[in-house]
Amino acid sequence: MSDVAGPLLEARHVTVRFGGLIAVDDISASFGAGELVGIIGPNGAGKTTFFNALSGVMVPTAGRLLARGRDLTGARPHRYARHGIARTFQTPRVFAEMTLAENVRFGLRFAGRRRRAETWGPAWLAAWIDRVGAPWPWRRRPGVSWLLRNELSILNVIGLAHLADMPAAAVTPSQQRLLEIGMALATRPRILLLDEVAAGLTESELQDMAQLIRRVRDELDITVVWIEHAVTTLLRHVERVLVLHQGRMIADGTPAEVVRNAEVIEAYLGDEMVEEGVA
Amino acid sequence: MSATAWIELIASGLITGGIYALVALGLNLQYGLMRILNIAHGEFLMLGAYLTWAATTLLGLSPLVMLPLSFGVMFGVGVVVHRLCFKRLTETSLTLDIFEARGLMVSFGLMFLVQNLVSMVWGGDLRGYDYLTDPVHFGSMQFAANKLLVFALALLFSAGLIALLKFTLLGKGVRALMQSPTGAQLVGIDTKRLHPLMFGIGLGLSALAGCLLSMTYTIAPAMGEPYTVTALIVITLGGFGSMGGALAGGLLLGVVEALGMHFTSPSLKMLLSYGVFIAVLLLRPKGLFTRKTRDA
Amino acid sequence: MPERKVLWRDLLVLAALTGWALALPHYASEFVASLALTCFMYIALASSWALFCGLSRYLSLATSAFFGIGAYTSALALEHMPWLHAVALGALLAAAVALLMGAAVLHLRGTYFAVLTFGMTELIRHALSYFEKQVSGTVGRVLTIVPERNTVYLTVLALAVLALATSIAVRRSRFGLALAGIGSDEQRAQTLGVGTRSVKTAGFALTAAFAGAVGAAMAVRWTYIDPPTVFNPFIGFQTVLIALIGGATTLWGPLIAAIVFSLLAETLRLQLPQLYMMALGVLLILCVLHLPGGVASLRWSTFAAWWRDTRQWWRERREEDTEQERKARRQRDRETRNV
Repeated sequence: MSDVAGPLLEARHVTVRFGGLIAVDDISASFGAGELVGIIGPNGAGKTTFFNALSGVMVPTAGRLLARGRDLTGARPHRYARHGIARTFQTPRVFAEMTLAENVRFGLRFAGRRRRAETWGPAWLAAWIDRVGAPWPWRRRPGVSWLLRNELSILNVIGLAHLADMPAAAVTPSQQRLLEIGMALATRPRILLLDEVAAGLTESELQDMAQLIRRVRDELDITVVWIEHAVTTLLRHVERVLVLHQGRMIADGTPAEVVRNAEVIEAYLGDEMVEEGVA
Repeated sequence: MSATAWIELIASGLITGGIYALVALGLNLQYGLMRILNIAHGEFLMLGAYLTWAATTLLGLSPLVMLPLSFGVMFGVGVVVHRLCFKRLTETSLTLDIFEARGLMVSFGLMFLVQNLVSMVWGGDLRGYDYLTDPVHFGSMQFAANKLLVFALALLFSAGLIALLKFTLLGKGVRALMQSPTGAQLVGIDTKRLHPLMFGIGLGLSALAGCLLSMTYTIAPAMGEPYTVTALIVITLGGFGSMGGALAGGLLLGVVEALGMHFTSPSLKMLLSYGVFIAVLLLRPKGLFTRKTRDA
Repeated sequence: MPERKVLWRDLLVLAALTGWALALPHYASEFVASLALTCFMYIALASSWALFCGLSRYLSLATSAFFGIGAYTSALALEHMPWLHAVALGALLAAAVALLMGAAVLHLRGTYFAVLTFGMTELIRHALSYFEKQVSGTVGRVLTIVPERNTVYLTVLALAVLALATSIAVRRSRFGLALAGIGSDEQRAQTLGVGTRSVKTAGFALTAAFAGAVGAAMAVRWTYIDPPTVFNPFIGFQTVLIALIGGATTLWGPLIAAIVFSLLAETLRLQLPQLYMMALGVLLILCVLHLPGGVASLRWSTFAAWWRDTRQWWRERREEDTEQERKARRQRDRETRNV
C-alpha cells in the first residue's frame, strides 16, 4: 500500500487550552517519511502537550490532526496507534507485573497486528521457522522492517534481550526507558514520538541512545520526532528542528538555521550556543 | 401550586441538601487529599447517629451536647482507622490507580464491619427519638424546629470547614497538598500528620451529619449506604477537591430531589439522583462549577 | 511449552471436579446437594466477576443487580418458554443492561465505576418495584412452572463449569491481555492500540451475562420472589469478597474461596449472621493490606516476607526507643551543663 495520501502526520493550527492557560498556540507542522526531527524549547513551552495532541491522548481545543491525509482529530488514542503513530512518555510507563518480553509483545498483539513483517503465513509459523533457524523463503513485506518481526528481535534492537524474562518493575529506570521505546516499536509505527528519552543519562549512554534513534530511522524506516533537553546532542543528530516557546512555534529549519535565528537565541539558546559552533 | 408551597418545597430540599453537603465535604476531603474513596463513609454517619441516639435515650444527654462529642469520638476513630488500614497502602501500592482500588476495597471491608457491628449491638429495628419537634411559623409557612436547626447547623459546619481551609495555615497546607502532593512536601508540609488528621476530620464531619440526622429522622443500620452514594454524586456535581462546589452541589441536589419527588413519586428519588449524576458525568465530567477543559 | 502444560493441568482439574460434582447427588444427602448448589452458584459468580474485574481493576459492585434481573426474567419467562431459553434470556437481558450502563460510565476511572455500580442495585430495585406497582399492580411474583431439582442442579453446575472454562480461555486470549493491560496502565494500553472502551464494555457485559444466567437459574428455588429478595445486595457483596480474598487475578482462587465461604455461610450465617459478615469485612481488609493477590497467591516466599516485615517493624520500634533514650540523655546533659 503506497503512502501518497499526504504527510505521515500533520498538525494544522493546533491549539490546546486548559481553562485560561494556552499550552499549545496555533502550531502547524507536518512530518514526512524518513525524517529525523527534533523539538526543543524551554520548560513549559508546550512540547509534551503537543505530543499529547499528536498521539490522541489529548483532544485539541482547535485545529486538526491528519495522518496520511486521514482526519484523526478527536479520535481516541488507540486509533492513532493503529494508524502507525507511536509514542513514549516522559516518565517510563511500562506494565510492571509483566516481563520485558511480554511488555514488548503487548504492542505486537494490538496495534502491531495491523502491519505484519511477513508477507503471508500465520504468525506462529513464522515464529517457528524463526526459532528453528531455517531460511525465510517468503518475500518480506516492504515498509515494515524485518527487525520488528517478534519481541525477541525488538529486544535485540534496544539491547535488552538478556533481560527478556525479568519483570519490568525489577529493571533500572534507564532500562525501563529503553523498554518503552521497544514497546512503541512493537506497534510497528510509521512515526515514533520520543519524549525526553535522554533525561538523566550519562554521556556514553547518551551516545548509545542517539545511535539507537538513528538506527530506528535508518534501518527500521520509521520517522522519529524527538523532544529533548540535551540540546547539543540532539542538534548533532537531527536534520530538522522545531523550536517551541510559550506554546508557539518560533522556528522550523535545519540545526544551522535554528541556532542563528535571533528569536530562538533570545528565548532559549543564548549566545554560548552559537559560539560553541553547534551545527 | 401556591408560592408558600413552592418555598416550603425548596426549603425542605435545602435542608436535606445541607446534610448532603456536610457528608460530601467529608468525603471530598478524603478523596481530594488522599485519594481514598471511603465507601464506608455513610456507615460512620450511621454510627454517629446511633451514638447520639444511645446517648440521648440511655444517658439523657441533649443531642446538642452529642454534636462535639460524636465529632470527637469519630475523629479519634478516623485517626486510628487511617493508621491501621490506609497508611500501609500508601507504602505498598505501585501506582495511584492501584492505591485507589485497594483503598476502595479496604473501605468496602470497613463497611461490612461497621454496619454489622451496629446491627449486632443495637439490632436491626428502626430507632428514633423526639427532639424539638414543635413547628415554627414563618408567616403562613411552617417548619419543624428541629429541621431548621439541622439546616442551620449543617450550613454552619460546612462554612466552618471552608473557612478553616481558606484562612488558616493548616487549611492552606491541606489545599497545597491537594494540588501538588510532592511540591507541598518539598516545602515542609507534613503528610504524615496531615493525612490522619484530615481523615479523622472527614469522618468526624460525617458523624456530625449523622448526629443531626438522628434529630429529625429514624435511624437504622442500613441508612448509611444511600448517603455514601449521594455524597459521591455531590462531589461529582461540584468537582473534585472543590469545597465550595461540594457545598453548592449538595444544596442543589437536595432541591432537585425535593422538586423531583414532589412532581413524580418519592420512590423515584434514587433514579433522579442517578439521572443527574450520569448527565453531569456525560456532559460536564469535571463538575458543574469548574471551567471546561477537554481530555480524550 | 510451559503454557501448554498449564492449560492441560487446568482442564484436567476442571474435568475432575465436574465429574465429582455430577456424581454428588446420587450418593449424598439432599442437604449436601443443596450446599453444593450454593457452592456452584458462587463459583460461577465469583469466577466470572474476577474475569473482568480482577484483570482490569474495574471493581463492579453490581452483581446483585444482574442477578435480580436474571431472576425476574425467568420468573416472567418460564410460563412462555422452555427452561434453557429462560436462563439464556436472563443472561441476555442482564448483558443488555450492562451494555447500557457501561456506555454511560465505563469511560471513567475505576473508582467512579465502582461507586456507581454500588448504587445500581438499589436503583434497579427501586425502578422495578415502582414499575411492578404502577404497571403490573403486584408486589412480587409467584413461580408456578418450576423444573425439577436435578435440572436446576445441572444447570448451575454447567454455568460454573462454563465460567471457569471461559476464564481459562480469556486469560490465554488477546481479550484477556487487553484487560490485563487496562488494569496495569489503561492509558498506556490505549496508546499501544487497545480499544479500551469496547474491551471494557464487552468484559462488563460478560460478567453481567453470567450473573443474569445464575440469577435466572436460582430464582426457581424460591416459589415467590419480590424485589428485596432477589435484589439482595449481599449476594453481590459476597461475590466480590470471595473473588478478592481468593485472588481476583487468578483462576482457581475464586473457586477455592467460593467453596470455603459457601460452607462457612451455610453454617454460620443462620446463627450469627452479623459476626460472619464482620469477619468477612476484617478478612477482606487484612487481605488487601497484606495479601493483595488473594489467598491463591500465597507462596512460601509470602510467609518469609511476612516474617521479615514483622522483624523489621520490631527492629524499627526498638530503634525508636533507643533514639528516645539518646535524646533524653542529651537533654539531661544540656541541663546539667546549664546549671
